[in-house]
Amino acid sequence: MPFYAYCLSDEVTDRMIESMAGVAGAGAPQLIQYGGIAAVVSRLEAERVGLTRENVFAHERVVGRVLAHTTPLPFRFGTVVSASQLEGYMNSQREFLQAQLARVRGSVEMSVKVVWNLEAVRREATARNALKGSATEDESGAEPLGLGAAFMLAKRREILGDEALRSEASEIASWLNERLGDAVREMEVRVRPMEALVVAAAHMVLRERMEEYQERLRAARLERPDLHFLTSGPWPPYSFIQARS
Amino acid sequence: MIDEELDLLEESDLSLLETLDHILARGLVITGEITISVADIDLIFVGLNVLLTSVEKAHEVLRERENRGDSKQETVDSSQ
Repeated sequence: MPFYAYCLSDEVTDRMIESMAGVAGAGAPQLIQYGGIAAVVSRLEAERVGLTRENVFAHERVVGRVLAHTTPLPFRFGTVVSASQLEGYMNSQREFLQAQLARVRGSVEMSVKVVWNLEAVRREATARNALKGSATEDESGAEPLGLGAAFMLAKRREILGDEALRSEASEIASWLNERLGDAVREMEVRVRPMEALVVAAAHMVLRERMEEYQERLRAARLERPDLHFLTSGPWPPYSFIQARS
Repeated sequence: MIDEELDLLEESDLSLLETLDHILARGLVITGEITISVADIDLIFVGLNVLLTSVEKAHEVLRERENRGDSKQETVDSSQ
Protein backbone atom coordinates (compact mmCIF):
# COMPACT_ATOMS: atom_id res chain seq x y z
CA MET A 1 0.00 0.00 0.00
CA PRO A 2 1.53 3.37 -0.99
CA PHE A 3 2.03 6.38 1.24
CA TYR A 4 0.76 9.89 0.76
CA ALA A 5 3.57 12.23 1.91
CA TYR A 6 2.86 15.60 3.55
CA CYS A 7 6.17 16.87 4.86
CA LEU A 8 9.30 15.95 6.75
CA SER A 9 11.09 17.34 9.75
CA ASP A 10 13.78 16.51 12.28
CA GLU A 11 11.71 18.00 15.10
CA VAL A 12 8.19 16.69 14.49
CA THR A 13 6.62 14.44 17.13
CA ASP A 14 3.59 12.13 17.16
CA ARG A 15 1.83 14.54 19.46
CA MET A 16 1.95 17.34 16.89
CA ILE A 17 -0.17 15.37 14.42
CA GLU A 18 -2.44 13.41 16.73
CA SER A 19 -6.17 13.30 15.93
CA MET A 20 -5.62 14.72 12.45
CA ALA A 21 -7.40 13.58 9.33
CA GLY A 22 -5.45 13.08 6.12
CA VAL A 23 -6.46 13.43 2.49
CA ALA A 24 -9.49 11.44 1.29
CA GLY A 25 -8.89 7.70 1.12
CA ALA A 26 -5.84 7.92 3.35
CA GLY A 27 -5.36 6.86 6.94
CA ALA A 28 -4.45 9.16 9.80
CA PRO A 29 -1.10 10.91 9.40
CA GLN A 30 1.78 9.09 11.06
CA LEU A 31 5.54 9.44 11.35
CA ILE A 32 8.16 7.21 9.79
CA GLN A 33 11.67 7.81 11.09
CA TYR A 34 14.70 7.70 8.82
CA GLY A 35 17.86 8.34 10.81
CA GLY A 36 16.84 11.52 12.59
CA ILE A 37 14.42 12.87 9.99
CA ALA A 38 10.76 11.89 10.13
CA ALA A 39 8.39 11.80 7.18
CA VAL A 40 4.76 12.66 7.91
CA VAL A 41 2.71 10.28 5.77
CA SER A 42 -0.65 8.50 5.52
CA ARG A 43 -1.31 5.06 4.13
CA LEU A 44 -3.29 5.47 0.92
CA GLU A 45 -5.72 3.04 -0.66
CA ALA A 46 -5.45 4.53 -4.15
CA GLU A 47 -2.43 5.35 -6.33
CA ARG A 48 -3.27 9.03 -6.61
CA VAL A 49 -5.31 11.71 -4.92
CA GLY A 50 -8.01 13.92 -6.33
CA LEU A 51 -7.38 17.64 -6.65
CA THR A 52 -10.38 18.69 -4.62
CA ARG A 53 -10.85 21.61 -2.26
CA GLU A 54 -11.11 19.14 0.64
CA ASN A 55 -7.86 17.35 -0.23
CA VAL A 56 -5.98 20.59 -0.85
CA PHE A 57 -6.97 21.89 2.57
CA ALA A 58 -6.41 18.49 4.22
CA HIS A 59 -2.81 18.48 2.90
CA GLU A 60 -2.27 22.03 4.08
CA ARG A 61 -3.90 21.38 7.47
CA VAL A 62 -1.49 18.55 8.25
CA VAL A 63 1.57 20.52 7.14
CA GLY A 64 0.20 23.62 8.88
CA ARG A 65 -0.19 21.75 12.16
CA VAL A 66 3.48 20.78 12.04
CA LEU A 67 4.37 24.35 11.09
CA ALA A 68 2.65 25.59 14.24
CA HIS A 69 5.40 23.84 16.20
CA THR A 70 8.43 23.66 13.93
CA THR A 71 9.37 24.37 10.32
CA PRO A 72 8.98 21.30 8.09
CA LEU A 73 9.95 20.72 4.48
CA PRO A 74 6.63 20.28 2.69
CA PHE A 75 6.09 17.80 -0.12
CA ARG A 76 4.33 18.93 -3.24
CA PHE A 77 0.62 18.10 -3.25
CA GLY A 78 -0.08 14.68 -4.74
CA THR A 79 3.15 12.97 -3.65
CA VAL A 80 2.31 9.27 -3.52
CA VAL A 81 5.19 6.88 -3.04
CA SER A 82 5.89 3.29 -2.14
CA ALA A 83 7.66 2.46 1.12
CA SER A 84 10.83 1.59 -0.79
CA GLN A 85 10.76 4.81 -2.84
CA LEU A 86 10.38 6.86 0.32
CA GLU A 87 13.15 5.00 2.11
CA GLY A 88 15.44 5.31 -0.90
CA TYR A 89 14.77 9.04 -1.13
CA MET A 90 15.28 9.70 2.56
CA ASN A 91 18.52 7.76 2.65
CA SER A 92 19.99 9.05 -0.59
CA GLN A 93 19.04 12.69 0.07
CA ARG A 94 19.85 12.82 3.77
CA GLU A 95 22.56 15.48 3.52
CA PHE A 96 20.51 17.63 1.18
CA LEU A 97 17.47 17.39 3.46
CA GLN A 98 19.49 18.17 6.58
CA ALA A 99 20.91 21.26 4.85
CA GLN A 100 17.43 22.37 3.79
CA LEU A 101 16.05 21.88 7.31
CA ALA A 102 18.92 23.92 8.74
CA ARG A 103 18.31 26.64 6.16
CA VAL A 104 14.64 27.13 7.07
CA ARG A 105 14.84 26.41 10.80
CA GLY A 106 12.94 28.91 12.92
CA SER A 107 11.47 30.60 9.85
CA VAL A 108 8.20 30.71 7.97
CA GLU A 109 7.29 31.83 4.48
CA MET A 110 5.18 34.93 3.91
CA SER A 111 3.66 35.76 0.56
CA VAL A 112 3.16 39.24 -0.88
CA LYS A 113 1.57 39.75 -4.27
CA VAL A 114 1.38 43.25 -5.69
CA VAL A 115 -1.32 44.06 -8.21
CA TRP A 116 -1.24 47.22 -10.26
CA ASN A 117 -3.66 48.70 -12.72
CA LEU A 118 -1.74 47.60 -15.81
CA GLU A 119 -3.93 49.45 -18.29
CA ALA A 120 -3.62 52.74 -16.40
CA VAL A 121 0.16 52.35 -16.01
CA ARG A 122 0.47 51.50 -19.71
CA ARG A 123 -1.66 54.51 -20.72
CA GLU A 124 0.47 56.82 -18.59
CA ALA A 125 3.70 55.42 -20.02
CA THR A 126 2.38 55.75 -23.59
CA ALA A 127 1.22 59.32 -22.94
CA ARG A 128 4.62 60.26 -21.52
CA ASN A 129 6.38 58.78 -24.54
CA ALA A 130 3.99 60.48 -26.95
CA LEU A 131 4.66 63.78 -25.18
CA LYS A 132 8.41 63.27 -25.44
CA GLY A 133 8.05 62.25 -29.08
CA SER A 134 5.96 65.27 -30.08
CA ALA A 135 8.34 67.61 -28.28
CA THR A 136 11.20 66.16 -30.32
CA GLU A 137 9.21 66.42 -33.54
CA ASP A 138 8.25 70.02 -32.79
CA GLU A 139 11.85 70.95 -32.05
CA SER A 140 13.08 69.38 -35.25
CA GLY A 141 10.46 71.29 -37.29
CA ALA A 142 10.30 68.31 -39.63
CA GLU A 143 7.72 67.67 -42.37
CA PRO A 144 4.64 65.51 -41.47
CA LEU A 145 5.53 61.81 -41.35
CA GLY A 146 4.72 59.32 -44.07
CA LEU A 147 2.84 56.09 -43.31
CA GLY A 148 5.99 53.99 -42.87
CA ALA A 149 7.67 56.51 -40.62
CA ALA A 150 4.48 56.96 -38.57
CA PHE A 151 4.31 53.17 -38.12
CA MET A 152 7.94 53.04 -37.01
CA LEU A 153 7.35 55.91 -34.62
CA ALA A 154 4.31 54.16 -33.09
CA LYS A 155 6.36 50.96 -32.80
CA ARG A 156 9.13 52.88 -31.10
CA ARG A 157 6.66 54.35 -28.60
CA GLU A 158 5.27 50.88 -27.92
CA ILE A 159 8.77 49.55 -27.21
CA LEU A 160 9.53 52.54 -25.03
CA GLY A 161 6.23 51.92 -23.24
CA ASP A 162 7.19 48.31 -22.54
CA GLU A 163 10.57 49.47 -21.27
CA ALA A 164 8.84 51.96 -18.99
CA LEU A 165 6.62 49.19 -17.62
CA ARG A 166 9.64 46.98 -16.98
CA SER A 167 11.41 49.81 -15.26
CA GLU A 168 8.40 50.70 -13.07
CA ALA A 169 7.84 47.04 -12.15
CA SER A 170 11.47 46.65 -11.10
CA GLU A 171 11.20 49.83 -9.07
CA ILE A 172 8.19 48.45 -7.19
CA ALA A 173 10.07 45.22 -6.41
CA SER A 174 13.13 47.16 -5.22
CA TRP A 175 11.00 49.55 -3.19
CA LEU A 176 9.28 46.65 -1.41
CA ASN A 177 12.60 44.92 -0.68
CA GLU A 178 13.99 48.13 0.71
CA ARG A 179 10.97 48.76 2.96
CA LEU A 180 11.08 45.26 4.42
CA GLY A 181 14.84 45.40 4.86
CA ASP A 182 16.54 42.83 7.03
CA ALA A 183 13.24 41.66 8.53
CA VAL A 184 13.39 39.28 5.55
CA ARG A 185 15.94 36.51 5.79
CA GLU A 186 15.68 35.30 2.19
CA MET A 187 13.39 36.13 -0.68
CA GLU A 188 12.17 34.78 -4.00
CA VAL A 189 10.78 37.56 -6.15
CA ARG A 190 9.13 37.30 -9.55
CA VAL A 191 8.53 40.51 -11.49
CA ARG A 192 5.98 40.44 -14.31
CA PRO A 193 5.76 43.89 -15.89
CA MET A 194 3.26 42.81 -18.55
CA GLU A 195 0.74 41.39 -16.09
CA ALA A 196 -1.65 42.86 -13.54
CA LEU A 197 0.05 40.81 -10.84
CA VAL A 198 3.28 42.71 -11.18
CA VAL A 199 5.31 41.39 -8.25
CA ALA A 200 5.00 38.03 -6.50
CA ALA A 201 7.33 37.74 -3.55
CA ALA A 202 7.94 34.96 -1.06
CA HIS A 203 9.75 36.08 2.08
CA MET A 204 11.46 33.83 4.57
CA VAL A 205 10.99 35.44 7.95
CA LEU A 206 12.33 34.38 11.32
CA ARG A 207 9.45 33.70 13.69
CA GLU A 208 10.87 36.08 16.27
CA ARG A 209 10.91 38.91 13.70
CA MET A 210 7.39 38.35 12.40
CA GLU A 211 5.91 41.33 14.22
CA GLU A 212 8.57 43.64 12.83
CA TYR A 213 8.04 42.23 9.33
CA GLN A 214 4.28 42.80 9.53
CA GLU A 215 4.73 46.32 10.84
CA ARG A 216 7.10 47.18 7.98
CA LEU A 217 4.69 45.69 5.47
CA ARG A 218 1.78 47.68 6.92
CA ALA A 219 3.78 50.90 6.60
CA ALA A 220 4.74 50.06 3.01
CA ARG A 221 1.14 49.43 2.03
CA LEU A 222 0.09 52.80 3.40
CA GLU A 223 2.80 54.44 1.35
CA ARG A 224 1.46 53.10 -1.95
CA PRO A 225 -2.35 53.36 -2.07
CA ASP A 226 -2.12 53.07 -5.87
CA LEU A 227 -1.12 49.41 -5.52
CA HIS A 228 -3.18 46.50 -4.27
CA PHE A 229 -1.46 44.02 -1.97
CA LEU A 230 -2.46 40.41 -1.46
CA THR A 231 -0.69 38.99 1.54
CA SER A 232 -0.84 35.55 3.09
CA GLY A 233 1.06 33.38 5.50
CA PRO A 234 2.66 32.00 7.46
CA TRP A 235 3.33 29.14 5.06
CA PRO A 236 5.74 26.25 5.23
CA PRO A 237 8.80 27.23 3.15
CA TYR A 238 7.43 25.93 -0.17
CA SER A 239 9.25 28.58 -2.20
CA PHE A 240 12.63 27.98 -0.60
CA ILE A 241 13.00 24.33 -1.34
CA GLN A 242 15.13 23.41 -4.25
CA ALA A 243 13.15 20.74 -6.08
CA ARG A 244 15.30 17.68 -6.56
CA SER A 245 14.56 14.02 -7.07
CA MET B 1 -11.22 48.91 -10.92
CA ILE B 2 -8.64 46.37 -9.79
CA ASP B 3 -9.70 46.85 -6.19
CA GLU B 4 -13.34 46.28 -7.10
CA GLU B 5 -12.50 43.12 -9.04
CA LEU B 6 -10.36 41.75 -6.22
CA ASP B 7 -13.05 42.59 -3.70
CA LEU B 8 -15.42 40.35 -5.64
CA LEU B 9 -13.24 37.37 -4.79
CA GLU B 10 -14.34 35.82 -1.55
CA GLU B 11 -11.83 35.29 1.20
CA SER B 12 -12.22 31.51 0.88
CA ASP B 13 -11.50 31.67 -2.89
CA LEU B 14 -8.35 33.68 -2.29
CA SER B 15 -7.31 31.25 0.39
CA LEU B 16 -7.81 28.31 -1.99
CA LEU B 17 -5.93 30.06 -4.80
CA GLU B 18 -3.03 30.93 -2.51
CA THR B 19 -2.94 27.37 -1.20
CA LEU B 20 -2.97 25.94 -4.72
CA ASP B 21 -0.24 28.36 -5.75
CA HIS B 22 1.95 26.98 -2.98
CA ILE B 23 1.20 23.28 -2.84
CA LEU B 24 0.90 22.50 -6.56
CA ALA B 25 3.91 24.36 -7.87
CA ARG B 26 6.46 23.96 -5.12
CA GLY B 27 7.70 21.58 -2.48
CA LEU B 28 9.77 18.44 -2.35
CA VAL B 29 9.29 15.95 -5.15
CA ILE B 30 10.39 12.36 -4.81
CA THR B 31 9.69 10.56 -8.03
CA GLY B 32 10.03 13.23 -10.69
CA GLU B 33 6.41 13.10 -11.66
CA ILE B 34 3.18 13.38 -9.75
CA THR B 35 -0.23 12.21 -10.86
CA ILE B 36 -3.35 13.76 -9.45
CA SER B 37 -6.91 13.62 -10.65
CA VAL B 38 -9.31 16.45 -11.33
CA ALA B 39 -12.93 15.49 -11.79
CA ASP B 40 -11.81 11.90 -12.42
CA ILE B 41 -9.36 12.95 -15.13
CA ASP B 42 -5.79 12.01 -14.34
CA LEU B 43 -3.33 14.85 -14.68
CA ILE B 44 0.39 14.54 -14.51
CA PHE B 45 3.19 16.85 -13.49
CA VAL B 46 6.03 15.95 -15.81
CA GLY B 47 9.49 16.42 -14.39
CA LEU B 48 10.12 18.95 -11.69
CA ASN B 49 8.65 21.88 -13.53
CA VAL B 50 5.08 22.95 -13.25
CA LEU B 51 4.00 21.34 -16.44
CA LEU B 52 0.49 20.10 -16.06
CA THR B 53 -1.03 17.92 -18.72
CA SER B 54 -3.42 15.03 -18.97
CA VAL B 55 -1.95 11.54 -18.80
CA GLU B 56 -3.52 10.84 -22.16
CA LYS B 57 -1.80 13.85 -23.72
CA ALA B 58 1.53 12.94 -22.15
CA HIS B 59 1.31 9.43 -23.59
CA GLU B 60 0.34 10.83 -26.98
CA VAL B 61 3.37 13.12 -27.06
CA LEU B 62 5.68 10.34 -25.89
CA ARG B 63 4.31 8.01 -28.58
CA GLU B 64 4.81 10.67 -31.25
CA ARG B 65 8.34 11.21 -30.05
CA GLU B 66 9.07 7.48 -30.18
CA ASN B 67 7.62 7.23 -33.68
CA ARG B 68 9.83 10.08 -34.84
CA GLY B 69 12.80 8.55 -33.09
CA ASP B 70 13.27 12.00 -31.69
CA SER B 71 15.84 12.01 -28.93
CA LYS B 72 15.52 15.74 -28.37
CA GLN B 73 14.08 16.83 -25.02
CA GLU B 74 10.57 18.12 -25.39
CA THR B 75 8.24 19.79 -22.96
CA VAL B 76 4.58 19.07 -22.60
CA ASP B 77 2.10 21.63 -21.45
CA SER B 78 -1.60 22.05 -21.23
CA SER B 79 -1.71 24.37 -24.21
CA GLN B 80 -0.72 21.60 -26.62
